[in-house]
Amino acid sequence: MKIVVAGKGGVGKTTVSGTIARALARAGHDVLALDADTNPMLGVSLGVGPEETDLLVAVRQGLETGETEHEKSTEGFVERFGRDAPDGVRLVVASRIERANPGCMCCGVSPEGLLTELDSAGKIIIGDLEAGIGTVMRLQEGHADVVLVVAQPTAKSLNIARRAVELTDDRGGRVIVVANRVRNDEDLAVIREAVGDCEMVVVPEEPAIAEADRDGRAAIDVDSDSPGVRVLVELADRLAGMAVPA
Amino acid sequence: MATAALRTSEPDPGSASAARRTPTGLRLAVVGKGGAGKSVVSATLARTLARRGHRVLALDSDTLPGLSISIGADVPDDAPLNAAAVRNDKGRWHLVKGVGAARAVQRYATDAPDGVRLLQIGKTDRRGLAPNRASHQAFYKVIHRLDDVRSLDDWVILGDLPAGPRQAAYDWAPYAQRFLLVVEPTWQSMLTARRIIRITRTMRDDREFSLVVNKATADEDADRVQEFLGVPLLGIVPADDAVRASERAGVALLDAAPDAPATRAIERLAATLDAGNIDRI
Repeated sequence: MKIVVAGKGGVGKTTVSGTIARALARAGHDVLALDADTNPMLGVSLGVGPEETDLLVAVRQGLETGETEHEKSTEGFVERFGRDAPDGVRLVVASRIERANPGCMCCGVSPEGLLTELDSAGKIIIGDLEAGIGTVMRLQEGHADVVLVVAQPTAKSLNIARRAVELTDDRGGRVIVVANRVRNDEDLAVIREAVGDCEMVVVPEEPAIAEADRDGRAAIDVDSDSPGVRVLVELADRLAGMAVPA
Repeated sequence: MATAALRTSEPDPGSASAARRTPTGLRLAVVGKGGAGKSVVSATLARTLARRGHRVLALDSDTLPGLSISIGADVPDDAPLNAAAVRNDKGRWHLVKGVGAARAVQRYATDAPDGVRLLQIGKTDRRGLAPNRASHQAFYKVIHRLDDVRSLDDWVILGDLPAGPRQAAYDWAPYAQRFLLVVEPTWQSMLTARRIIRITRTMRDDREFSLVVNKATADEDADRVQEFLGVPLLGIVPADDAVRASERAGVALLDAAPDAPATRAIERLAATLDAGNIDRI
């Protein structure tokens, strides 16, 4: 199964991706967390630590300077640009590099191509996409089983969320809106108005998530029972349920 | 005689004045992680500097609408700047003949509140980026020639860059003498700022950095961010529900909440930059 997470920068894509990946792994699934953001931060939200996350990014930057060899095979890619994260999640950094080799998978030019290449049999791949809607526009059937669109109650975030929902609907894909940092009914109402009657889960403004952001930790490690984290753990359960063949 | 008078205003190729001139106006680029508050800071700074009597050119190189919303300006479906670039038979983009940086700004910048002039690249819409590709090419060429435009020497030029280090890596703010790093007191925001500093320094090592700590909730927030990044602190903008409310409504902070603590804090940033106090921070 393949899940991708999209939205404006700063809305909580990485927190949602990291928390769901950890929750899925805790439930016994084989999870590959793919960081396809040009500003990769998924390691932080998975609980790998800020400086460790930057070290992985440095390995990718080695591709630019020639210190790192390019990698043609998917297995080698997962091995060389990744590391293990808590609960057995495998993290792979696939951020786009500036001087990419044409057609080279490891350069991260095409996260959607990578989603096709990576073998998802028996495992769940969750991809944290670049901010904005660039990758969502290029998604085709088979690239992702579910698109999670993270939105905050701000005009800028909803502008992007609405378009991501429309694009996914247009190609018949399944979309779930994750309404994040919702404080009150007015917040929820503006989000609902922007995205229409699609499937939605609501994550309340959550002190445990704010603490995780401030301290560079995984929200699930700060407080797995907090209301905000629980919404994401429950969403992970639902997603895992979709992965089970009928 | 008229000819001689004209000549004296031109630089003498043999003198020191023919070297790269230093504009007298502020040259700023606002950078940081997505959601850190770049557009709100950029828009409020630009309008405040205009209210203080400066002529201000705001540059929006984001393919997503951010600055336009926060400054209170419209986003046309097709960028006016599309008219400034053409593609030749080899597929290369050029500025249209007769259009240089000065004319591009004069013709294709639009009016924003408080007299700010706004030059925008076209946004991504349902059609993708393609219909506005010309504006992106034109914008990039124009910003790389801004230093040569004498008529803008005393203007404030302020660019709001898209999230993250990507445009810094591609040299999308060559005009900027100073990079304002808008940083929240979170690790993701701090790491992003550090990546931007590193990548900018490898390309243009004479640029200055100033730190704006945004959404601060405690005194130690700013200390922590500043210690991590090691760049001078320009100011602190407190976490403020008035910003949240204006962002939810999609209106400019200056119009929605002129007296809010965050608004006042950004006005103080403008005053500090303006007063030349910047040399002392």
